[in-house]
Amino acid sequence: MSPELRRRETISGYLFLLPSLVFFLGFVVIPMVMCIITSFTDATMNSNQPDVFIGLANYKELWQDPIFLKALRNTIIIVVVSVPVVCIFSLWVASAIFNMKEGPLSFFRVVFYLPVVTGSVAVTVVWKWMYSNYTGIINYVLKNGGIIDKNINWLGDPKYALACIIIILLTTSVGQPIVLYVSALGNVDNSLVEAAEVDGANNTQVFWKIKWAQIMPTTLYILVITTINSFQCFALIQLLTSGGPNHATDTIMYYIYYTAFTRFRFGYGNAMGVVLAIFIAILSAVQFRLAKEK
Amino acid sequence: MKKKLALLLALVMIIALAVPVTASADATEISLWTYPIGKWGDEATIKTFTDAFEAETGIKVKVELLAYGGDGDNKINAAIAAGQAPDMVMEGPERLAVQWGLQGHMVDLSDMLDATDLEEINPSTLAAFTIADGTLTGYPLCMNAHCMAINVDAFKRAGADQYVDLETRTWTTEGFIEAVKALNAAGNDTVAAVFCNGQGGDQGTRALVNNLYSGLFIDEARTGYQWNSEENVKALQTLYDLDGVNFDASIAGGDEMKLFRQGILNMAFCWNISGHKNTDDGNEVGKTLTGDEVAFMNFPTDDGNVALCGGIWGFGIFDNGDADRIEASKQFIKYVCDSDKTAEAVVASSFFPARTAAEGNDLTGIFADDEDMNVYNATIMPNLGDYYTITNGFADVRTLWWNMLQEIGAGADIAEATANYTAQADATLG
Repeated sequence: MSPELRRRETISGYLFLLPSLVFFLGFVVIPMVMCIITSFTDATMNSNQPDVFIGLANYKELWQDPIFLKALRNTIIIVVVSVPVVCIFSLWVASAIFNMKEGPLSFFRVVFYLPVVTGSVAVTVVWKWMYSNYTGIINYVLKNGGIIDKNINWLGDPKYALACIIIILLTTSVGQPIVLYVSALGNVDNSLVEAAEVDGANNTQVFWKIKWAQIMPTTLYILVITTINSFQCFALIQLLTSGGPNHATDTIMYYIYYTAFTRFRFGYGNAMGVVLAIFIAILSAVQFRLAKEK
Repeated sequence: MKKKLALLLALVMIIALAVPVTASADATEISLWTYPIGKWGDEATIKTFTDAFEAETGIKVKVELLAYGGDGDNKINAAIAAGQAPDMVMEGPERLAVQWGLQGHMVDLSDMLDATDLEEINPSTLAAFTIADGTLTGYPLCMNAHCMAINVDAFKRAGADQYVDLETRTWTTEGFIEAVKALNAAGNDTVAAVFCNGQGGDQGTRALVNNLYSGLFIDEARTGYQWNSEENVKALQTLYDLDGVNFDASIAGGDEMKLFRQGILNMAFCWNISGHKNTDDGNEVGKTLTGDEVAFMNFPTDDGNVALCGGIWGFGIFDNGDADRIEASKQFIKYVCDSDKTAEAVVASSFFPARTAAEGNDLTGIFADDEDMNVYNATIMPNLGDYYTITNGFADVRTLWWNMLQEIGAGADIAEATANYTAQADATLG
């Protein structure tokens, strides 16, 4: 290829890249940089009030803010509960259905994937009704089944509210991992499985020694995306509880939104965003490292 | 050839991305963003005004509907931050004066008022829209007093109707407590809810607590919040101890109104004449979905002196620096708030006029045939209390109020919780 032709190829290549690059720069890179910069200011987005550089004051305030600490605790609970449950449950379901015939396999994939493709607002409205203190089906069933004698205010009682959020999160989170695991288990090299079975390995040994190793990349991907999704739990909180009752369901993502768009403390909200990003990055790095060692 | 075509397409995409999307700078098209204030939240109703205005002046008004409860505020705040604020917004002094006005975003509308206007317009509505530097941030259209409601038939079935005076729409604190007990004893587990999921409808819970034992939300000089006063603590304790009344962090005012209309709750603390006439849930005016009769009521008091929270609504203009558009917006405001169209505009709001007459048209009798409006005007409107929602920092204070109710509902010590939140609220006074 002549240098001229190579140059023209390169230019046209970059031109094709440019539209998505513009979007990436405009909606990811620049906001990210602005977020970091404003986290060191008292930005309120009020055009009549210039942003003042305040150094690390926002970051220091975070660790003295009881609501942030509560939101951090709630977020960690959500991550610690939902990530293993999603991974184990989806692996269990996938193991049970991956070698089924096409019809039943498609049926189960649709059943578990449906909450993923259903709009989060619709899902939330249905759950809100199910949990309702006044007209909810859960109270109706439990009361008529003699399990409770008085309606429970599932979303209005700090004892239950976070658990209720986690349950909804689980139902909307397992669909994609199940589909991924079904695909990964279907791609496991059968000759290895057969060889192990010939050598006398039982089902448990085959699973842990052969299949588990081969689906590890999928597991790693699922771990990372589930962790990130759990850290970023926002819509459910916004639509169901607004962080209440008494901050029992506040998450960092919701508190960022609340701080920035209700209290107009954009600088402080961005400082939380930076801390959240660091948490996610560290956790993802640890997960990658552990999986690599495995 | 293929490569040239591909290059051309790529260039077209880039150019399309590079072309800035700009709002029309033409003064013959202005924008109005409005919160759902009666039928001013209904596109078809607003269109009758904007179409008529366009036919008369040639100025087109582009309307965007906003929602209460965060989304509307977010849209406006994002628009302000981006330098894309609408020309006009319809809301109350809580936002026009205390939020955007104090931030310097609103145009001073005082030059729209002549001596006749000053005679006709209720002075308290003008005072509410006026901020410390004298800027009139909004031009008032309508006003209201927020009240509560009871399910009259449920009260009758429980024998609790003896505790309410449906002539004067008043009752005592003792009567309220007895009524709750009677309704609860009649098998109603959910007589009423002290809703506290968010700030929506919080004027109801504020008025309920403050009226029960004659407490205040803030002192008259606006120097200190009074949530931890003996009267308010006693009121909160009374409500907390009453079986059948739940501190419910899972619902806000709008949810409570729905549950009341569905016949599930026997009382609604978030109510007003607009809510009374609302049939969006498929109910008849003044009835629940179960066909029970609804009566609007003053909040119960121990001394007979009811103080209701009020609502004032009007139009403000964002200062976008374009004199022509500001002038066009003023024309629209004048057309709606001070012309022969004003009676229609007030009726659309479902509230009461903020002025006695507009350009020679008497507004005092615009609801002459409407019994509900007349009864409301005679029994509820006279009890309008201090318009404290224009206190500086009130947006933060509202959040503290429902957070405090959540904490109390979760079992916190009421004296401690009120003391803690009062201190935080006082800190917003500066």
